[in-house]
Amino acid sequence: MWGTNLRILGVVLGTVAVYTLLANAIPQVESEVPEELSFTGDVSPEQLIEAGEELFNGAGGCTACHGLGTRAPNLLTAQGSAGPIGARCAQRVEGEDCKTYLHRSLVEPGAYVVEGFQPIMPDASRTMSGAQIWSLVAFLESQGGEVTVTAADLQAADAGGEAGAAAGAAAGPSATTDPAELIRELQCVACHKLGAEGQEVGPPFDGIGSRLSAEEIRAAILDPAASIAPGYEQFAGVMPPNFGSRLTAAQLEAIVAFLAARK
Amino acid sequence: MSGRRLGMAASCLASLALVLVAVHVAGAQEPAVAGPRAYGSFPWIGSRTAVWIAAEVHLMFAAFVLGVPMFAVVAEGIGIFGGDERYDRLSKEFTRLLLIAYSATAMWGAVLVFFLTTLYPRFWAHMTEIFEVSMWIYVGLFFIESFTLYLYYYGWDRWKKGRAKIGHWTLGILLNVWGTAVLFIADSWLTYMMSPPANVGPDTSPAMVQFWSAFANATWMPINIHRLIANVVFGGSVVAAYAGYRFLSARTDQERAHYDWMGYVGNFIAIGALIVLPFAGYYLGREIYEYNQQMGITMMGGFMSWLWIIQAFLIGVLFLAGNYYLWVGMGRIPGAERFLPYTKWMLLVLIIGVIVWSTPHTMIADRAELEAMGGSHHPFLGVLGVMSAKNTAVNLMILTTFLSFLLYRRANRRPVVSWARTGTILQAGLFVIAAVVVLFYGVYGYFVSAIVRIGFSVYQVLAVLATIVGVVALDVAMLRGSESRGEIRWGQMPPRSQYALFVLVVTFTWLMGLMGFARSGIRQHWHVWEVMRDTSEWAATPALGYAAQVISVCVIIFLGLIAFIFWLGGLVEKPQLVPERGEH
Repeated sequence: MWGTNLRILGVVLGTVAVYTLLANAIPQVESEVPEELSFTGDVSPEQLIEAGEELFNGAGGCTACHGLGTRAPNLLTAQGSAGPIGARCAQRVEGEDCKTYLHRSLVEPGAYVVEGFQPIMPDASRTMSGAQIWSLVAFLESQGGEVTVTAADLQAADAGGEAGAAAGAAAGPSATTDPAELIRELQCVACHKLGAEGQEVGPPFDGIGSRLSAEEIRAAILDPAASIAPGYEQFAGVMPPNFGSRLTAAQLEAIVAFLAARK
Repeated sequence: MSGRRLGMAASCLASLALVLVAVHVAGAQEPAVAGPRAYGSFPWIGSRTAVWIAAEVHLMFAAFVLGVPMFAVVAEGIGIFGGDERYDRLSKEFTRLLLIAYSATAMWGAVLVFFLTTLYPRFWAHMTEIFEVSMWIYVGLFFIESFTLYLYYYGWDRWKKGRAKIGHWTLGILLNVWGTAVLFIADSWLTYMMSPPANVGPDTSPAMVQFWSAFANATWMPINIHRLIANVVFGGSVVAAYAGYRFLSARTDQERAHYDWMGYVGNFIAIGALIVLPFAGYYLGREIYEYNQQMGITMMGGFMSWLWIIQAFLIGVLFLAGNYYLWVGMGRIPGAERFLPYTKWMLLVLIIGVIVWSTPHTMIADRAELEAMGGSHHPFLGVLGVMSAKNTAVNLMILTTFLSFLLYRRANRRPVVSWARTGTILQAGLFVIAAVVVLFYGVYGYFVSAIVRIGFSVYQVLAVLATIVGVVALDVAMLRGSESRGEIRWGQMPPRSQYALFVLVVTFTWLMGLMGFARSGIRQHWHVWEVMRDTSEWAATPALGYAAQVISVCVIIFLGLIAFIFWLGGLVEKPQLVPERGEH
């Protein structure tokens, strides 16, 4: 009986071992997380190219299609009679330089679908930052062409990113779910009166629970432009629309519950 | 305390744990519980691997306890309406295996939920805010399902005659209904992570996500169907391995005959359902591409491209081991010797099929590898490894396996209908037509564009399915009232055949782990695809080598526990054996 048990154990462990060894014997490819880039004003083209190349061959996932020549055009090698992408990008769209064409191809991929290919390219701005996208553009320009991406392009991209970061910073340090503390940290009272505190640019928090349900309060925080309280139309657009991303779900619900209780 | 009470107590404890988890889950939305902390940390193996192992082992047990009731209730139905008591006893024995496995499923489910709440609190808060109602329903259904199982099993001998027996069978059907509902609810959570509705983005608050659009998302139904079939395959293979062990350790011929038959039935269920599984997989893959091309490409041609080579190898092993078991089994069937010369040709088709299917083609490559190959594809394998060739290979392997089953079924039968010869010629004709259609589109696919070529696989699949349906229909009609060439000598099976059953169960379990990694890994560094980014230190999806090690650990944990559970079940009650008959 023990002999049978040992044979069964041997078959089981042996089979598992074969599969494990086989999976370890093939090329190992990890799906990396795109590294957030931060460049200074004197960034060199070489730095951009290096960062772009790393993204192109790694976390960007570009090689899954570009380079095979079947799913998407080759970018690093000649596609048909034309040279690599840096050499041909300026001729793709009349009146559009290489940099603009490549950037637009990344953030509006549906704009230019090369003949013979399907529109399967994803919008890079959904998963990459402005700096990452520009470094990709620089790398692609370097493939047979001249790199024209400059620090000014990055700064323009950063401006959007920094605005977001600044907005995040307002809520970011807050680890609390205490609604009163959150309201102070988010400077809500700068516009909404709460007791003796604050200004009345927007509707006061006092008594808000009797005017709006919890669902309506939540909706007003997440999408303030959707419904403007009567009498405050001239201030429409003042309230930031990004609390949905700045607050955690728990924080949002804490504020909603707090306000809904102020009847 | 008797073993039966022990099992009940363990089940109740597990259910209690689940309730506590549910309460914890509901409470997780309160700020004080979820808090602003995004991630916890798990010692040594890290949070990602801890959750991975808990989820995978839970899933393996869940697949077993959901798959087995499906064929248990069918076996009971055959027993009732066919008048063969053996099937009733077989069904009861299947169900007996479920009892303690249910407790283990719940325990691993509790481990998974505790890990998620402590290691990924922000993500979990997001999920609970969207799916809270379905989580409550899930817990309720789990209770109902557990108590239906208790009634089903413990009422077996009490409700065994007349209308009471039909009532008992209805309980079995209800058990499957509850189990399927539980599966569908859990599938909605994981498929939401893969394919959230298009209108949900990183800035969308979970409170604003429409419940039904998140629940019935793009990949929900394809996963439901794929898992339903895969659970049957998995359950069948575990039962067959159990029977294999009992066969090898049997002390009497009667016991050996019973477990030989049980092993055959388990293997038949597993391989029979496996034949249709690729079609469900094709549907799932297609829906993933429909939802997001990039996700589909990441899955098939991105960093996961090598995974499919391993998958092809594993499925090749399944086909070879399954057929080997059948061919060896034909040695105990009088009349089967007339078919044995064909087996070497079938083996040849299977081996060629595995080689073609395992040929790498569109693999992710860096610049050095591209230069070494002299282009985007390997100069030699680039021609052989295309989908046209692979689809042709897998369809011919399915046809060959079906032929093995047919020969096994026909081995000891002699048809008496007047049109037997015509029927056999018709069956052969259907096989030839299917093979020609599959080969034609396989070759033609080399001369058309990729988008046209993809459509050819549908014609190949339809030809094979039509042949399977047509040949079975002819066979059933043709063998009605057939003469026997001799009784099957159940129990007279060489021990080596039983080891094939162990290879099958290990391979099925490992394959389930591999496919779980593929399904989950295509989200890459997103908890919820393009909605909630994984910003933890464990965000990178590991390479296949590391994944294989984790999968192997999960397989060993699962098989070790299930062996213990079966041993425990054997201490409690011995199955009543019914003298074997020579039919199948």
